[in-house]
Amino acid sequence: MNCFEARQDFPAFWRCELPADRRAVLNAHLGECAKCDRAFRVFAMTAPVLHSASAALSRAAGPREFTFEHRARAAAPPVNSSYGAQRRWLAMCASALIFVAASSGAYLAASAPTQSLSDALTNSQDQSVQRLFGSELPDSSDDLAG
Amino acid sequence: MVSRPDDELIADALSGQSAAFSELAMRHRPRVERLCQRFFSDPEIARDLAQECFIRAFAGLSTYRKELPFGGWLRAIVTNLCYDELRRRRRRPEELVGDFTAPEVQWMHLVSEATPEQIVAEAEQRREAHALAHRLLETLKPEDRTVVIMKDSEGMNVREIAQAMGWSAAKVKIRAFRARQAMRRQAERLQIGGHRLKP
Repeated sequence: MNCFEARQDFPAFWRCELPADRRAVLNAHLGECAKCDRAFRVFAMTAPVLHSASAALSRAAGPREFTFEHRARAAAPPVNSSYGAQRRWLAMCASALIFVAASSGAYLAASAPTQSLSDALTNSQDQSVQRLFGSELPDSSDDLAG
Repeated sequence: MVSRPDDELIADALSGQSAAFSELAMRHRPRVERLCQRFFSDPEIARDLAQECFIRAFAGLSTYRKELPFGGWLRAIVTNLCYDELRRRRRRPEELVGDFTAPEVQWMHLVSEATPEQIVAEAEQRREAHALAHRLLETLKPEDRTVVIMKDSEGMNVREIAQAMGWSAAKVKIRAFRARQAMRRQAERLQIGGHRLKP
Protein backbone atom coordinates (compact mmCIF):
# COMPACT_ATOMS: atom_id res chain seq x y z
CA MET A 1 0.00 0.00 0.00
CA ASN A 2 1.36 3.42 -0.93
CA CYS A 3 0.63 6.73 0.80
CA PHE A 4 -2.03 7.78 -1.73
CA GLU A 5 -3.97 4.54 -1.33
CA ALA A 6 -3.66 4.77 2.44
CA ARG A 7 -5.16 8.25 2.55
CA GLN A 8 -7.94 7.27 0.17
CA ASP A 9 -8.93 4.64 2.74
CA PHE A 10 -9.17 7.04 5.71
CA PRO A 11 -12.95 7.72 5.38
CA ALA A 12 -13.85 4.03 5.07
CA PHE A 13 -11.51 3.21 7.96
CA TRP A 14 -13.18 5.87 10.08
CA ARG A 15 -16.65 4.50 9.32
CA CYS A 16 -15.45 0.93 10.00
CA GLU A 17 -16.42 0.00 6.46
CA LEU A 18 -13.00 -1.29 5.46
CA PRO A 19 -12.62 -5.08 5.03
CA ALA A 20 -10.52 -6.68 7.79
CA ASP A 21 -7.55 -7.48 5.55
CA ARG A 22 -7.43 -3.98 4.08
CA ARG A 23 -7.78 -2.55 7.58
CA ALA A 24 -4.77 -4.56 8.74
CA VAL A 25 -2.72 -3.34 5.77
CA LEU A 26 -3.66 0.26 6.51
CA ASN A 27 -2.76 -0.12 10.19
CA ALA A 28 0.61 -1.56 9.21
CA HIS A 29 1.22 1.35 6.81
CA LEU A 30 0.31 3.92 9.46
CA GLY A 31 2.70 2.19 11.85
CA GLU A 32 5.65 2.61 9.54
CA CYS A 33 4.87 5.87 7.65
CA ALA A 34 5.21 8.91 9.90
CA LYS A 35 3.70 11.30 7.30
CA CYS A 36 0.55 9.23 6.85
CA ASP A 37 0.25 8.74 10.60
CA ARG A 38 0.34 12.52 11.06
CA ALA A 39 -2.13 13.00 8.21
CA PHE A 40 -4.50 10.54 9.87
CA ARG A 41 -4.37 12.44 13.17
CA VAL A 42 -5.18 15.68 11.36
CA PHE A 43 -8.01 13.88 9.55
CA ALA A 44 -9.31 12.60 12.91
CA MET A 45 -9.82 16.17 14.17
CA THR A 46 -12.60 16.91 11.68
CA ALA A 47 -13.76 13.40 10.86
CA PRO A 48 -16.37 13.29 13.65
CA VAL A 49 -18.34 15.87 11.64
CA LEU A 50 -17.22 15.30 8.07
CA HIS A 51 -17.09 11.51 8.02
CA SER A 52 -19.24 10.29 10.84
CA ALA A 53 -21.97 7.78 10.20
CA SER A 54 -25.55 9.00 10.31
CA ALA A 55 -26.23 7.58 13.79
CA ALA A 56 -23.68 9.76 15.54
CA LEU A 57 -24.96 12.95 13.99
CA SER A 58 -28.56 12.11 14.66
CA ARG A 59 -27.71 11.37 18.27
CA ALA A 60 -26.02 14.75 18.53
CA ALA A 61 -29.18 16.38 17.22
CA GLY A 62 -31.42 14.50 19.61
CA PRO A 63 -34.85 13.08 18.93
CA ARG A 64 -37.60 15.44 17.85
CA GLU A 65 -40.55 15.02 15.62
CA PHE A 66 -40.03 16.49 12.20
CA THR A 67 -42.97 18.66 11.37
CA PHE A 68 -43.49 19.33 7.74
CA GLU A 69 -45.60 22.45 7.68
CA HIS A 70 -44.95 23.82 4.23
CA ARG A 71 -48.40 25.29 3.90
CA ALA A 72 -48.28 27.20 7.15
CA ARG A 73 -44.71 28.27 6.75
CA ALA A 74 -44.63 29.00 3.06
CA ALA A 75 -45.57 32.60 3.69
CA ALA A 76 -43.46 32.92 6.82
CA PRO A 77 -39.97 34.44 6.76
CA PRO A 78 -37.04 32.03 6.43
CA VAL A 79 -34.83 30.67 9.18
CA ASN A 80 -33.98 33.90 10.94
CA SER A 81 -37.00 36.03 11.65
CA SER A 82 -35.07 39.14 12.76
CA TYR A 83 -33.21 39.16 9.45
CA GLY A 84 -36.51 38.79 7.61
CA ALA A 85 -38.08 41.58 9.66
CA GLN A 86 -35.12 43.82 8.92
CA ARG A 87 -35.47 43.19 5.20
CA ARG A 88 -39.22 43.77 5.30
CA TRP A 89 -38.68 47.04 7.16
CA LEU A 90 -36.15 48.22 4.55
CA ALA A 91 -38.51 47.25 1.74
CA MET A 92 -41.35 49.20 3.39
CA CYS A 93 -39.14 52.31 3.80
CA ALA A 94 -38.01 52.08 0.18
CA SER A 95 -41.55 51.74 -1.14
CA ALA A 96 -42.72 54.67 1.04
CA LEU A 97 -39.92 56.85 -0.35
CA ILE A 98 -40.76 55.86 -3.91
CA PHE A 99 -44.44 56.66 -3.29
CA VAL A 100 -43.64 60.10 -1.83
CA ALA A 101 -41.27 60.93 -4.70
CA ALA A 102 -43.77 59.79 -7.33
CA SER A 103 -46.70 61.70 -5.82
CA SER A 104 -44.62 64.92 -5.42
CA GLY A 105 -43.53 64.65 -9.02
CA ALA A 106 -47.09 64.15 -10.20
CA TYR A 107 -48.32 67.14 -8.11
CA LEU A 108 -45.58 69.45 -9.41
CA ALA A 109 -46.24 68.39 -12.98
CA ALA A 110 -49.96 69.14 -12.62
CA SER A 111 -49.59 72.54 -10.88
CA ALA A 112 -46.64 74.01 -12.84
CA PRO A 113 -47.57 76.95 -15.18
CA THR A 114 -47.37 76.08 -18.81
CA GLN A 115 -44.93 78.36 -20.53
CA SER A 116 -42.28 78.00 -23.15
CA LEU A 117 -38.60 78.15 -22.36
CA SER A 118 -38.12 81.48 -24.09
CA ASP A 119 -41.05 83.00 -22.09
CA ALA A 120 -39.56 81.72 -18.91
CA LEU A 121 -36.18 83.23 -19.75
CA THR A 122 -37.72 86.61 -20.69
CA ASN A 123 -39.74 86.70 -17.47
CA SER A 124 -36.74 85.89 -15.37
CA GLN A 125 -34.71 88.63 -17.12
CA ASP A 126 -37.52 91.17 -16.54
CA GLN A 127 -37.67 90.21 -12.89
CA SER A 128 -33.94 90.71 -12.42
CA VAL A 129 -34.10 94.15 -14.14
CA GLN A 130 -37.01 95.10 -11.87
CA ARG A 131 -35.01 94.06 -8.82
CA LEU A 132 -32.16 96.39 -9.97
CA PHE A 133 -34.20 99.49 -10.90
CA GLY A 134 -37.33 99.22 -8.80
CA SER A 135 -40.83 98.40 -9.90
CA GLU A 136 -40.72 100.79 -12.94
CA LEU A 137 -38.31 100.19 -15.74
CA PRO A 138 -36.00 103.21 -16.41
CA ASP A 139 -37.00 105.50 -19.32
CA SER A 140 -33.88 106.04 -21.36
CA SER A 141 -35.18 109.37 -22.99
CA ASP A 142 -35.84 111.02 -19.53
CA ASP A 143 -32.41 110.07 -18.36
CA LEU A 144 -30.84 111.67 -21.36
CA ALA A 145 -32.97 114.88 -20.97
CA GLY A 146 -32.15 115.17 -17.22
CA MET B 1 -45.77 -1.96 0.92
CA VAL B 2 -43.88 -1.01 -2.24
CA SER B 3 -42.50 2.50 -2.12
CA ARG B 4 -43.28 4.61 -5.14
CA PRO B 5 -40.40 6.11 -7.13
CA ASP B 6 -39.50 9.77 -6.66
CA ASP B 7 -40.60 10.74 -10.18
CA GLU B 8 -44.09 9.41 -9.58
CA LEU B 9 -44.42 11.30 -6.30
CA ILE B 10 -43.13 14.48 -7.93
CA ALA B 11 -45.71 14.19 -10.71
CA ASP B 12 -48.46 13.74 -8.12
CA ALA B 13 -47.19 16.68 -6.07
CA LEU B 14 -47.17 18.86 -9.19
CA SER B 15 -50.75 17.89 -9.90
CA GLY B 16 -51.71 19.24 -6.48
CA GLN B 17 -51.44 16.25 -4.16
CA SER B 18 -49.48 17.63 -1.22
CA ALA B 19 -49.50 14.20 0.47
CA ALA B 20 -47.19 12.98 -2.29
CA PHE B 21 -44.72 15.72 -1.47
CA SER B 22 -44.94 14.88 2.24
CA GLU B 23 -43.97 11.31 1.41
CA LEU B 24 -41.08 12.60 -0.66
CA ALA B 25 -39.96 14.86 2.18
CA MET B 26 -40.10 12.04 4.71
CA ARG B 27 -38.01 9.86 2.44
CA HIS B 28 -35.24 12.43 1.98
CA ARG B 29 -35.43 14.03 5.40
CA PRO B 30 -32.65 12.01 7.16
CA ARG B 31 -30.14 12.84 4.46
CA VAL B 32 -31.09 16.52 4.39
CA GLU B 33 -30.91 16.83 8.19
CA ARG B 34 -27.57 15.05 8.30
CA LEU B 35 -26.13 17.45 5.74
CA CYS B 36 -27.41 20.46 7.72
CA GLN B 37 -25.82 19.03 10.87
CA ARG B 38 -22.47 18.97 9.13
CA PHE B 39 -22.78 22.72 8.57
CA PHE B 40 -24.17 23.69 11.97
CA SER B 41 -23.48 22.21 15.37
CA ASP B 42 -26.71 23.62 16.81
CA PRO B 43 -29.37 20.96 16.18
CA GLU B 44 -32.17 23.55 16.22
CA ILE B 45 -30.57 25.54 13.41
CA ALA B 46 -29.92 22.36 11.45
CA ARG B 47 -33.52 21.25 11.82
CA ASP B 48 -34.91 24.66 10.87
CA LEU B 49 -32.73 24.70 7.77
CA ALA B 50 -33.90 21.22 6.81
CA GLN B 51 -37.50 22.37 7.02
CA GLU B 52 -36.72 25.50 5.07
CA CYS B 53 -35.12 23.34 2.40
CA PHE B 54 -38.33 21.36 1.91
CA ILE B 55 -40.39 24.55 1.81
CA ARG B 56 -38.16 25.87 -0.97
CA ALA B 57 -38.23 22.55 -2.75
CA PHE B 58 -42.02 22.53 -2.65
CA ALA B 59 -42.21 26.12 -3.90
CA GLY B 60 -39.78 25.42 -6.74
CA LEU B 61 -40.86 21.91 -7.65
CA SER B 62 -42.04 23.05 -11.08
CA THR B 63 -38.42 23.99 -11.93
CA TYR B 64 -37.14 20.49 -11.19
CA ARG B 65 -35.85 18.68 -14.28
CA LYS B 66 -36.42 14.95 -14.54
CA GLU B 67 -33.02 14.14 -15.98
CA LEU B 68 -31.36 14.97 -12.63
CA PRO B 69 -31.88 12.80 -9.54
CA PHE B 70 -34.22 14.41 -7.05
CA GLY B 71 -31.72 13.82 -4.22
CA GLY B 72 -29.07 15.81 -6.06
CA TRP B 73 -31.48 18.66 -6.72
CA LEU B 74 -32.42 18.71 -3.06
CA ARG B 75 -28.78 18.61 -2.02
CA ALA B 76 -28.06 21.70 -4.13
CA ILE B 77 -30.89 23.52 -2.33
CA VAL B 78 -29.58 22.48 1.11
CA THR B 79 -25.99 23.46 0.43
CA ASN B 80 -26.98 26.84 -0.99
CA LEU B 81 -29.26 27.43 1.97
CA CYS B 82 -26.57 26.48 4.49
CA TYR B 83 -23.97 28.53 2.64
CA ASP B 84 -26.23 31.60 2.71
CA GLU B 85 -26.81 31.05 6.42
CA LEU B 86 -23.06 30.77 7.06
CA ARG B 87 -22.47 34.01 5.20
CA ARG B 88 -25.29 35.71 7.03
CA ARG B 89 -23.82 34.75 10.39
CA ARG B 90 -20.43 36.10 9.25
CA ARG B 91 -18.81 36.07 12.66
CA ARG B 92 -16.25 33.34 12.83
CA PRO B 93 -13.09 32.97 14.89
CA GLU B 94 -9.97 33.46 12.77
CA GLU B 95 -7.99 31.03 14.87
CA LEU B 96 -8.99 28.06 16.93
CA VAL B 97 -7.78 29.36 20.25
CA GLY B 98 -9.52 29.89 23.50
CA ASP B 99 -10.84 27.74 26.24
CA PHE B 100 -11.23 24.05 25.97
CA THR B 101 -13.09 21.82 28.34
CA ALA B 102 -11.28 19.00 30.11
CA PRO B 103 -12.90 16.31 27.90
CA GLU B 104 -11.86 18.27 24.79
CA VAL B 105 -8.26 18.39 25.98
CA GLN B 106 -8.40 14.67 26.75
CA TRP B 107 -9.67 14.01 23.25
CA MET B 108 -6.83 16.09 21.76
CA HIS B 109 -4.30 14.08 23.77
CA LEU B 110 -5.89 10.85 22.63
CA VAL B 111 -5.73 11.92 18.97
CA SER B 112 -2.07 12.84 19.43
CA GLU B 113 -0.97 9.71 21.25
CA ALA B 114 -3.33 6.73 20.77
CA THR B 115 -3.22 4.25 17.92
CA PRO B 116 -5.50 4.86 14.89
CA GLU B 117 -7.72 1.94 15.95
CA GLN B 118 -8.19 3.44 19.43
CA ILE B 119 -8.99 6.86 17.97
CA VAL B 120 -11.70 5.43 15.71
CA ALA B 121 -13.17 3.33 18.52
CA GLU B 122 -13.32 6.29 20.91
CA ALA B 123 -14.58 8.93 18.48
CA GLU B 124 -18.14 7.65 18.23
CA GLN B 125 -18.53 7.64 21.99
CA ARG B 126 -17.22 11.12 22.60
CA ARG B 127 -19.46 14.12 22.16
CA GLU B 128 -16.47 16.44 22.63
CA ALA B 129 -14.87 15.01 19.47
CA HIS B 130 -17.89 16.21 17.55
CA ALA B 131 -17.90 19.61 19.26
CA LEU B 132 -14.20 20.16 18.65
CA ALA B 133 -14.50 19.20 14.99
CA HIS B 134 -17.24 21.79 14.60
CA ARG B 135 -15.10 24.41 16.31
CA LEU B 136 -12.30 23.65 13.91
CA LEU B 137 -14.58 23.88 10.88
CA GLU B 138 -16.01 27.16 12.15
CA THR B 139 -12.62 28.82 11.63
CA LEU B 140 -12.96 28.31 7.88
CA LYS B 141 -14.47 30.85 5.51
CA PRO B 142 -18.03 29.99 4.42
CA GLU B 143 -16.88 29.15 0.88
CA ASP B 144 -14.08 26.89 2.13
CA ARG B 145 -16.33 25.16 4.62
CA THR B 146 -19.01 24.53 2.02
CA VAL B 147 -16.52 23.02 -0.39
CA VAL B 148 -14.99 20.78 2.30
CA ILE B 149 -18.39 19.46 3.36
CA MET B 150 -19.57 18.85 -0.20
CA LYS B 151 -16.32 17.20 -1.22
CA ASP B 152 -15.47 15.16 1.87
CA SER B 153 -18.85 14.37 3.37
CA GLU B 154 -20.98 14.16 0.25
CA GLY B 155 -18.28 12.79 -2.01
CA MET B 156 -19.07 15.29 -4.74
CA ASN B 157 -16.49 16.05 -7.41
CA VAL B 158 -15.32 19.52 -8.48
CA ARG B 159 -17.73 19.71 -11.42
CA GLU B 160 -20.73 18.75 -9.30
CA ILE B 161 -19.84 21.31 -6.61
CA ALA B 162 -19.31 24.03 -9.21
CA GLN B 163 -22.68 23.23 -10.77
CA ALA B 164 -24.54 23.18 -7.46
CA MET B 165 -23.05 26.44 -6.20
CA GLY B 166 -22.85 28.30 -9.52
CA TRP B 167 -19.08 28.74 -9.14
CA SER B 168 -16.24 28.07 -11.55
CA ALA B 169 -14.29 24.81 -11.23
CA ALA B 170 -11.15 26.85 -10.55
CA LYS B 171 -12.81 28.54 -7.58
CA VAL B 172 -13.85 25.19 -6.15
CA LYS B 173 -10.31 23.83 -6.48
CA ILE B 174 -8.76 26.89 -4.89
CA ARG B 175 -11.25 26.83 -2.01
CA ALA B 176 -10.65 23.13 -1.39
CA PHE B 177 -6.90 23.64 -1.34
CA ARG B 178 -7.06 26.61 1.02
CA ALA B 179 -9.49 24.84 3.32
CA ARG B 180 -7.21 21.85 3.60
CA GLN B 181 -4.23 24.02 4.38
CA ALA B 182 -6.14 25.93 7.04
CA MET B 183 -7.53 22.79 8.66
CA ARG B 184 -4.13 21.13 8.74
CA ARG B 185 -2.59 24.23 10.30
CA GLN B 186 -5.26 24.44 12.99
CA ALA B 187 -5.25 20.72 13.77
CA GLU B 188 -1.48 20.58 14.03
CA ARG B 189 -1.46 23.58 16.28
CA LEU B 190 -3.91 21.85 18.60
CA GLN B 191 -1.92 18.65 18.63
CA ILE B 192 1.32 20.48 19.33
CA GLY B 193 -0.35 21.66 22.49
CA GLY B 194 -1.35 25.26 22.01
CA HIS B 195 -4.59 24.72 23.92
CA ARG B 196 -5.67 26.21 27.19
CA LEU B 197 -7.93 24.50 29.66
CA LYS B 198 -11.23 26.15 30.50
CA PRO B 199 -11.24 27.12 34.19
